[in-house]
Amino acid sequence: MTEERYAVIGQSVLRKGAREKVLGAAVFAADIDLGRPLVLLARRSDHSHALIRQIDVAAALAIDGVKGVFTARDIPGVNLLGIINKDQPLLADDKVRSRADAVALVVAESQAVAEQAAEAISIDYQPLPALFEPLEALAEGAPPIHKKGNLLLTRVVRRGDVDSAFAAAASLIEKEYETGFIEHNYLEPDAGIGHVDADGTLVIYASTQNPHYDHKEVVGLLDLPDEKVRIIQAATGGGFGSKLDLNVQGFIGLALHHLGHLGRPVRYIYSREEAYLATSKRHPFRIRMTTACDRSGRLTAMRVRAVCNTGAYGSYGIAVASRAAVHATGPYAIDNVDVEVQCVYTNATYCGAMRGFGAPQMALAHESQIDLHAEELHIDPLAMRTMNALQVGATSSTGQILTASIGYRQCLEAVAPYYRQACDHWLPAPTLPHRRRGVGLGGMWYGIGNTGVQNPSTARIEMAPDGSVTLFTGCADIGQGSTTVLSQIAAEILGLSPEAIRMVVADTKYTTSAGATSASRQTYISGNAVANATRNLANVLLTEAVNRLRAPKNSLLFSGGEIVVASKPEVRVAMATLARRIHDKGGTLSWQGFFDPETVPLDPQTGEGVPYATYAFACHLAEVEVDTLTGEVHVARVVAAHDVGRAINPASVVGQICGGVAMGVGFALMEEFEQGRTESMKDYHIPTAADMPEVVPIIIEAAEPSGPFGAKGVGEPALIPTAPAIVNAISAALNRRIYALPASLERVLAASIDAGHYRRKER
Amino acid sequence: MNRDCTYHRPSTLAEAVDYLATKGGETTIIAGGTDVMVDLRAGKLERRNLLDVSRLDELRGIRLEGEKLVVGAAVTLAEIHRSPLLANHAPALQKCARNFASAQIRNKATIGGNVGHCSPCGDTIPPLVIHQAEMVCTGSSGQRRLPITEVATGAYRCQIARDEIITAFVLEPVGADFADFQKIGRRQALAISRMSMAAMLNQDQEGRITMLRLALGACTPTPCRLRLVEEFLLGKKPQPALLMQAGELLAEQMIAITGRRSSIIYKEPAVQGLFRRILSPVACHD
Ligand SMILES: Cc1cc2nc3c(=O)[nH]c(=O)nc-3n(C[C@H](O)[C@H](O)[C@H](O)COP(=O)(O)OP(=O)(O)OC[C@H]3O[C@@H](n4cnc5c(N)ncnc54)[C@H](O)[C@@H]3O)c2cc1C
Repeated sequence: MTEERYAVIGQSVLRKGAREKVLGAAVFAADIDLGRPLVLLARRSDHSHALIRQIDVAAALAIDGVKGVFTARDIPGVNLLGIINKDQPLLADDKVRSRADAVALVVAESQAVAEQAAEAISIDYQPLPALFEPLEALAEGAPPIHKKGNLLLTRVVRRGDVDSAFAAAASLIEKEYETGFIEHNYLEPDAGIGHVDADGTLVIYASTQNPHYDHKEVVGLLDLPDEKVRIIQAATGGGFGSKLDLNVQGFIGLALHHLGHLGRPVRYIYSREEAYLATSKRHPFRIRMTTACDRSGRLTAMRVRAVCNTGAYGSYGIAVASRAAVHATGPYAIDNVDVEVQCVYTNATYCGAMRGFGAPQMALAHESQIDLHAEELHIDPLAMRTMNALQVGATSSTGQILTASIGYRQCLEAVAPYYRQACDHWLPAPTLPHRRRGVGLGGMWYGIGNTGVQNPSTARIEMAPDGSVTLFTGCADIGQGSTTVLSQIAAEILGLSPEAIRMVVADTKYTTSAGATSASRQTYISGNAVANATRNLANVLLTEAVNRLRAPKNSLLFSGGEIVVASKPEVRVAMATLARRIHDKGGTLSWQGFFDPETVPLDPQTGEGVPYATYAFACHLAEVEVDTLTGEVHVARVVAAHDVGRAINPASVVGQICGGVAMGVGFALMEEFEQGRTESMKDYHIPTAADMPEVVPIIIEAAEPSGPFGAKGVGEPALIPTAPAIVNAISAALNRRIYALPASLERVLAASIDAGHYRRKER
Repeated sequence: MNRDCTYHRPSTLAEAVDYLATKGGETTIIAGGTDVMVDLRAGKLERRNLLDVSRLDELRGIRLEGEKLVVGAAVTLAEIHRSPLLANHAPALQKCARNFASAQIRNKATIGGNVGHCSPCGDTIPPLVIHQAEMVCTGSSGQRRLPITEVATGAYRCQIARDEIITAFVLEPVGADFADFQKIGRRQALAISRMSMAAMLNQDQEGRITMLRLALGACTPTPCRLRLVEEFLLGKKPQPALLMQAGELLAEQMIAITGRRSSIIYKEPAVQGLFRRILSPVACHD
């Protein structure tokens, strides 16, 4: 790695918007005041699966204060949504496929009237058998939930000869793993507000992760020209993937389309209950994994048959199945691979993107398998991981040759001293008689960006004749800090402070698409687009400076708002002067940037391809104490080493790591969304501050040559290794393995009883 | 969903009682509101005329009165948690306040509301049971006292008449060497008890149990004192094998009350585990 010195890259500059959030001044969609708003409310389905014979809205329309009630028939454009495959109507057409489906939309003067009107809509259903289990849905003769049937996709990754490797194995282990529905549980429930502006444009402010996708969908639903819809991202209180789907945006658009003439803004704020009922969940997985290794512990082959439940609609299901298949091996070199992941429709609430897209579910399986082999072969779990770790030059299961920035071994090395300390000192230290301690490791790799498809980002930077700089990006900052990181990248190139860069963010009128804030892609992909735009601008400034300073380009530096001759710092010119001259000569000071990572689509038969241009790596160590009498688990500490390529803003990286660990503790121990039962946070448990272990974040920087200043991403990786590390620690503590998440009181106590700890000593 | 309500805050108990005498049928008493407001928001509160008793002097304070310990109905869980008097005379009650909900809820939630709500999971109930507490309430026809085990007629169903206000709880101060409260939740804070237990115990010089009171929370629809288990252990040394047996008896008793529901797969071993854990400090190993 070259030893370069940067002024703002690698600095924990203050997060843009942090001050406003701390002071309560940030303006979320629900806070936006556009005058007296009309209130929207969807009438959700009464059945999980039924044909709709008739919808009668007369009684609802007759209620005083009701301004309109709309059904599928009132949608002028295409009533189908979906970022990958379009299968989800905004308002149910001829059938409902889950309880989350909206059948009609009420527009009213108040929430109370809207609620009354929604109740008053009468819907004549013809119920159909509802299927909640993927295996039921795949069974011969199962009622089709969609016309094309219940199998959305099978993603295959095949390489080498698994059967021969199995036959020669010293250790062969086959197990089944299971994970459930998970609710994203972002702090801010979905919300949006819109109005029709003076030009007749529908302007919609929304809590969203992808304003440009929202724009496309609203335009399509309403059959409007592009410029007649404008989406502006409001301050967004988290998303974790759920705000990638259209939640309120389409409803607001539809209401404005029909009732814009009233001159009133319309708004839709989900209650927590509606956010639980109506928005996507994490895909539950059932994974059968068989792995083989030789006597030394080297992994030789893997077979996976996995089924994931996408519920009523595709949403991001195809991406989840694909990513799960590609990530099945974990960060390990395995020559013979045979992976099949099926993504199946059921009548459950639809499942979509959630932090990790199937990788967290797969990580539970591959990390458990590693520990099982290690135990069988009497190899230390850390040594087993190190021996099998991907390295530069390795070939992945899709046949991709990994050429750079493979920091998994460094992550393992960073965790090693903590691991040894935990094993040698913490583990044997005395604790209460009914408690047992365990130490566990979890590893992961994570491809940055979308899987084997184009997913470009764009950006534009403008310098005014007075030298002031504005950066335009479509990238939605949902609290993770992308706006700050992008400003740091531009500032570094121009030798400015990040505060000097004015940011115009996520407004479809002024910014071009940066793609989704998902797949941990914004620092890498939008960061590169910003760098590209900024370097274009920097280049014209340098050209002008060459004239002015009579020095070659490669001798010039950007520093403190000036361009300076590196060897003679007294020879300098203000950027404002250069900008003025370029402007006066008719030169351009507005530059567009573009970046699309180099990928090759996966072959549908073999999975061969280059799904991602780069990968992040991580290893977590968990120290847990298990109460053998009650099944309670206390996570004492998590050491989390992450290869992020380059930490552009280390404080933000640490923030992501700590937040990821919190979510991982929830995934491991307590989170479980039960269809038809879980209503809100009263019956869905996420960890509190009291449940948080001590977190030791460690940043590893195996620079990515194609990344902006070497950066990759960390948003999703932060969560992925935590649950496997905790499960491995519990399993070590009890000498009994947990195969299904969450490792709840019930499952842990059952394992403790099974292992004989519950009746230990006393008999 | 109708969430409209009216609100009254009387300044004396007499005023509150008068108010209930005429409007009791349509009124819900509110103290900290941590149960009432949840029901109101969910549209489940039928009587939406709210009478706030949280600031009535007559319902406040923790004090010793002769042989008895008196805890006002409007005393908050935060006050219970930091009361030295309770730490001395009712340590199990004081402990139950430590892991009760969260700091914010503890600042508002009252002991009267916890008992009045009659949730099977109310954390103050098992400690009140082992202190053989009586609930004091006042209504138009005067004051009456009711043993804590008789307050609830079923889950979320309270004996108190519509015109009555809970004013205080009268406890027998602890006269034992050992008292404790423990709970199992799905997380460390803000967790409704999956199971809770309060115990009070005395031993003679040989370690034989001379007094034992045991109460179980979140397992049975109404509060439950486990006399059979208490009697079984009385006069015996709590050796591990005996505690194991007593735990089995305890689980049998619990199942006799609740029947075998699906949750019993966990609760049957957990109740024994919790029992063995709570009594482990007094176990005899000779
Ligand atoms: C987030 C959260 C976490 C919680 N965690 C716990 C927990 O860990 N453990 C636990 O036990 N509970 C818990 N609860 C429930 C609740 O906080 C308790 O039951 C609390 O003690 C109720 O007291 P309150 O003063 O808020 O009651 P209120 O809500 O004011 O009233 C509750 C009921 O009692 C009646 N009532 C109140 N005072 C009187 C009186 N003086 N006379 C007659 N009737 C009266 C009311 O009419 C109502 O029916 C939790 C609640 C929430 C919202």
